[in-house]
Amino acid sequence: MATVKINGIELQVEDNTLILDAARKAGFEIPTFCYQADLMGIGSCRMCLVEIEGQKKLQPSCVTPVLHGMSINTETPTVMSARASMLEFLLANHAMDCPVCDKGGECELQDMVHKYGPRKGRHADAKFKFHEKDYALSPVIIKNSNRCVNCMKCVRVCREVVGRNVLTALNRGDHQEATSFMRTFLDCDHDGNCIEVCPVGCFMRLPYRYKTRPWDLKGVDTICTYCATGCRMVIEHRDGTVVRARAQMGVGINSETLCARGRFGYDIMNDDGRVKTPMIKKSRTGGLEPASWEEAIAFIKDNLATVDGEKLGGIISPRSTNEEAYLFQKLIRTIFKSPNIDSSVRFKADAVEGFVKATGMDEGGASIFDCMEADTVLIIGAHLSDENPVTDYIVRRISGSRRMNLIITSPRAMKLDSSASVVLRHLPATEGALLDAIILNLNADKIVGSEALTALKDTKLEAVLAEAGVDAETVKLISNKIAGSASVGIIAGTDFLRSPEGLPPLGLLRELLKATGKKLTVVPVLDRCNQRGVWEMGGHPNFGPGYSAVKAKGMGTEAMLDAAHSGGLEALYIAGADLVTLAEDEDFVKRALSKVGFLVVQDTFMTETARLANVVLPGVSTGEKDGMFTNQEGRAQVIKKLLPPPGKAKKDIDIIRAVGEAFERSFGPKNPALVLDEIRKEIGMYSEVSLTFKNKRNPDNELDNKAALVKGTHSDLKIGSWPRRHVAADPAFPFILTTGNQLFHSGRLSRRSEILTSLSKGAEVEISESDATALGLKAGDKVRVKGARYEAVVSLKTKKGSKPGVAFIAENYNEAPVNRFFKKGEGLPRVSITKAL
Amino acid sequence: MFSENARKELEAILKKYPNKRSAVMDALRVAQNEGAGHITKADMEEISRVLEMPANEVHAAATFYTMYRVNKPVGKYHIQVCANISCSLMGADHIIKHMENVLRIKTGETTPDSKYTLSTVECLGSCGTAPMMQVNDDYYENLDEKKIDELLGRLK
Amino acid sequence: MEKVLLKNYGKPDSHKIENYILSGGYKGLEAAVKLKPDSLIQLIKDSGLRGRGGAGFSTGLKWSFIPKDPTIPKFLCCNADEGEPGTFKDRGIIDHDPHLLIEGMIITSYAIGASNAYIYIRGEFVFGTNRLQVAIDEAYAKGYLGKNIMGSGFNLDMYIHRGFGAYICGEETALLESIEGYRAQPRKKPPFPALAGLYAKPTVINNVETLSCIPSIVEKGAEWFSKIGAPKSPGPKIYCVSGHVKKPGLYELPMGTTVRDLIFNHCGGMLHEGRALKAVIPGGVSAPLLTPKDLDTPLDFDSLAAKGSMLGSGAVIVMDQTTCMVKSAHIVTRFFSHESCGKCTPCRDGTPWLTRVLGRIEHGEGKPGDVELLESLCTNIFGRTFCPLGDGAVMALRGFVKNFRDEFQFHIDYKRCMVS
Repeated sequence: MATVKINGIELQVEDNTLILDAARKAGFEIPTFCYQADLMGIGSCRMCLVEIEGQKKLQPSCVTPVLHGMSINTETPTVMSARASMLEFLLANHAMDCPVCDKGGECELQDMVHKYGPRKGRHADAKFKFHEKDYALSPVIIKNSNRCVNCMKCVRVCREVVGRNVLTALNRGDHQEATSFMRTFLDCDHDGNCIEVCPVGCFMRLPYRYKTRPWDLKGVDTICTYCATGCRMVIEHRDGTVVRARAQMGVGINSETLCARGRFGYDIMNDDGRVKTPMIKKSRTGGLEPASWEEAIAFIKDNLATVDGEKLGGIISPRSTNEEAYLFQKLIRTIFKSPNIDSSVRFKADAVEGFVKATGMDEGGASIFDCMEADTVLIIGAHLSDENPVTDYIVRRISGSRRMNLIITSPRAMKLDSSASVVLRHLPATEGALLDAIILNLNADKIVGSEALTALKDTKLEAVLAEAGVDAETVKLISNKIAGSASVGIIAGTDFLRSPEGLPPLGLLRELLKATGKKLTVVPVLDRCNQRGVWEMGGHPNFGPGYSAVKAKGMGTEAMLDAAHSGGLEALYIAGADLVTLAEDEDFVKRALSKVGFLVVQDTFMTETARLANVVLPGVSTGEKDGMFTNQEGRAQVIKKLLPPPGKAKKDIDIIRAVGEAFERSFGPKNPALVLDEIRKEIGMYSEVSLTFKNKRNPDNELDNKAALVKGTHSDLKIGSWPRRHVAADPAFPFILTTGNQLFHSGRLSRRSEILTSLSKGAEVEISESDATALGLKAGDKVRVKGARYEAVVSLKTKKGSKPGVAFIAENYNEAPVNRFFKKGEGLPRVSITKAL
Repeated sequence: MFSENARKELEAILKKYPNKRSAVMDALRVAQNEGAGHITKADMEEISRVLEMPANEVHAAATFYTMYRVNKPVGKYHIQVCANISCSLMGADHIIKHMENVLRIKTGETTPDSKYTLSTVECLGSCGTAPMMQVNDDYYENLDEKKIDELLGRLK
Repeated sequence: MEKVLLKNYGKPDSHKIENYILSGGYKGLEAAVKLKPDSLIQLIKDSGLRGRGGAGFSTGLKWSFIPKDPTIPKFLCCNADEGEPGTFKDRGIIDHDPHLLIEGMIITSYAIGASNAYIYIRGEFVFGTNRLQVAIDEAYAKGYLGKNIMGSGFNLDMYIHRGFGAYICGEETALLESIEGYRAQPRKKPPFPALAGLYAKPTVINNVETLSCIPSIVEKGAEWFSKIGAPKSPGPKIYCVSGHVKKPGLYELPMGTTVRDLIFNHCGGMLHEGRALKAVIPGGVSAPLLTPKDLDTPLDFDSLAAKGSMLGSGAVIVMDQTTCMVKSAHIVTRFFSHESCGKCTPCRDGTPWLTRVLGRIEHGEGKPGDVELLESLCTNIFGRTFCPLGDGAVMALRGFVKNFRDEFQFHIDYKRCMVS
């Protein structure tokens, strides 16, 4: 600790605290342009100069750490005049076109000139002009360099946080311009973080251009719905049209960052194609017709009153709020007396149970920041860069700022590879074999732990190495790094849900690491925004709220569809999930759903699934309701309502309650606040969770609000046993096809965003560059992807450093529905790739 | 695009440094020498590939140092007259004016036959022999009108 | 005084290794490798040698900051990015006596334990670069570079890195950035290069002239060196004289030679008979100018600092009575704004502003209050920039305005020059 004096006030701060932070702690704000807590300090804008007693020159407080006994003055006439002079210099080289600048009204330069600036401008000469007209750098980024203040935050955030490094400063002196290569259009992540960190109107949102003045916006502070990272953001509308989503400096785990989906996917809220009124299908042959809510609810009551609970099922979207999910499972379990409830369409129920157990979700929340504190962090089964972009940013930023080992294992190359100390490419769906190999290396000398762990000693290292398609040396290196670390972090992704064979070894690795006394933090990464919350509310056939035991396991989505297909499901209530496009084997799903006796679909859009329904209930989008989400780490957060529901659409929680009340008048609780109270009471994990938003980063730069993490509980969940499915080699189909989300989309929902759709290049199949070269193909070629069951013509995307023999098609394309390649119950399909004629 | 010789030169350059990126300045110089005294987008893209660094960072380096000419071709003879203090004291203004008259171009321009480009530069470190100029790689010092006329006679 | 740095300057084929050896070259190296690196560092400390790049920091002390751990790779960088207007001494050494520099660098590398040395030479010095490369090749051939130098077990590789037009590369951390392939913008300090320099490894950066002093110190001893010239900044010094003198050029003289002695004795006086001396810039354009009343100031670090100026690179620029000070100030300031790297606000946006105002005044478009504006902008830049470049611009301009304020005012009031 160091004792320092700031403007006469004595205080104690940690050693090496920056003067800037110490001053903030003492209550004195120091203005800055180039400083940003999450970026490496450059000390260039000189706004933060302060006086240190005994030093002749003013010193930049943003890069100068305190020393014990230092006496610092931040508000003397010299300091104030230095601030004014820096602003005068910046204005001397500034466009001064505030009346037509989108940033006007929320511009840091304006604000600072107002607060600290010279009252009179003395610059009377011609200025250097970078360009006459603003120029676009991307479909979402437009640039005016004449307004730049040279803080270089755009360049730095792109390099240090996003990891794309497509922006740099060109030229020098007052001609210095932060821009792209030759000012050309960017082939980048289009996340707009350069816009977010820009203090002035230099980097701007293109879709927002000239739409509004910031003071005419109304907004709410809420959570992004495009993956389970759980980014805090503000979405704003003008006169009912959503025009902007933005992150806030120092707020939420994401701080100032968002990915393209979060920042530019807001326009789905303006989609006019919403279902705005209840619809019912009165006869088997007739179509859906508009109806009143009373009619719709009565229709449901008539048709469900006599249904046997065992023959009824409920499926709720993993994008629902915790309150909705809790009430929905209560409806299914207590009103309809059915054990059949699920919230995952793509993942097997037992796989989910195994995943929860293997990653220790039942043991409570695990902060990504704690995980990244570890000596070694292993990323496995997750393509973070594309699936959870902001988690990728957090990992990159922290791994770049401290000494640690970052190990990335994945079949496909990813942007984050460049931050890793070890990168390993394994075959798809072989996470299990790879983990076996690591465990064998770690545990070579003496077998400790459970029976299962001991049983592993019969496994041959060579065999599992071959199965995973990896080299012994790299695995040894990874194992040594883990063995030599006192603390280990594991980031485990949805590939474990797609191929649950990896779950038992994941569980064993955790057991082994714990047994050897290592501090272990496991963070699961998930792709749907409230998947974890919905599970923890009991939206699952194998466990009830808070992972509690159920009397008997119900049917999961897959089993329900099987039952439906064989005519054994009399009723199904689907809240917000588009089964047809998401479940494996689309034709099967369509056939199955059409055989369900009575199908209730509650959704915002007329989805493929809704078209098959007997009743369609118009719900609302996440921007039209309040509620709680739990992100992948187990961090409870609040979403807020921005706009009223369109037409007769109702909040989902009100719909669920109305359905329940039709059967039992007392069904409730009656309002969302009371539902939350019941959740706290019923689910121990949530009893003390804090839902208070921290509105500013505290002076210690803490983004990690631990009070929001859910507590652990005791569960008797089982990982289960998952025999390895071997994808047999087949020369006719040389590629193994994998899937997941692509960078600009989350499921099919985001396809409705015109902006996001304009960013993605349309349906693509991705293979390694070496495979493409061997096949005589190049990026952009139209290729035919042919499987045993389905074929599609898409563009080819190549990636340097991916595992050969692996093909990837994202699950987001309507024009190439990847689920059609899959056959229910089988492993990953094999495909061939040839040039399309 | 790099010739075979240029590639060989680049290979030798790469041996000087523990990382590839350090060779960017030499690579740009080689590209400029190979091209018509300037660097093109394609050159920078190739350097980016060879040195495994982002093209925008190649461009950033190329525009920081004034001797690189990005997309700015020069004549066969690039005449750079020093206009800094010592040369100015010794009559650089006069030298520049004389050059402009003889070549019938203004400073910053290239003759229509693409033979001469006339520029002024900051100090070239030859102040004891001012006024002076550099034509391509060579220094010409203690200039006067006569010397210039003679020199231009030789530079065909 | 017996010449040390320019002893071979002007001799036929002085750049060739045979001639260098014949003149007693590489004797210093021979002596050096018999010493322990620590004794060598102590020797340079004892000699009192101060860096000739401009800052005048003790060379031996600088070397002593390098960690001794033999497992950490270390670098020596020679700053040959000579760019301060008025300066041409390093070029003189490189063109005429490259082996003197190379020998100094080998000894320095041995002292600090560097196994790689880079010479950062400015891009315009094509002739010098070629000379230096030939000389390096010769030194390899003779076994002065490469493996097991002179049987000492010490290995050293030496490379040339060519700059390409950026004065800022003379700033040591900018120079490092440039070698690493980045835009040459200065790094924040700490960490200092002695701990984390080139490729984040311990690095010494010394000027050409500094390094060229090393062989003779090793050969002749610290005491010999410390007795030359001014006691607190001893040794020989190369003064680069340009401007209105009869015999401009390089002069190696004992540190502390007076301005008067240099101009009127060594350089043969003013260029044009009958024209009076008006001002002298004593240490490159960053150094505030001196007027005739200061002619007896010794040209050394401390004496010039006492006069509010500095020795800098030792570039002495002489101006006679016909010189327009507004124009000269404009040229000097334009240079700094042209060379500003763009990193920090006051230098990037302040120096071009100064240039614009000066250009206006020079061309008869000055406005009342412009001199005060210049002074105020100087106040706002000085001491607030990231590196010394902005300070240099201000110090130079302040020198002009302080001593010749009436000329600036005349330009503004009468829209024409007072002297021409």
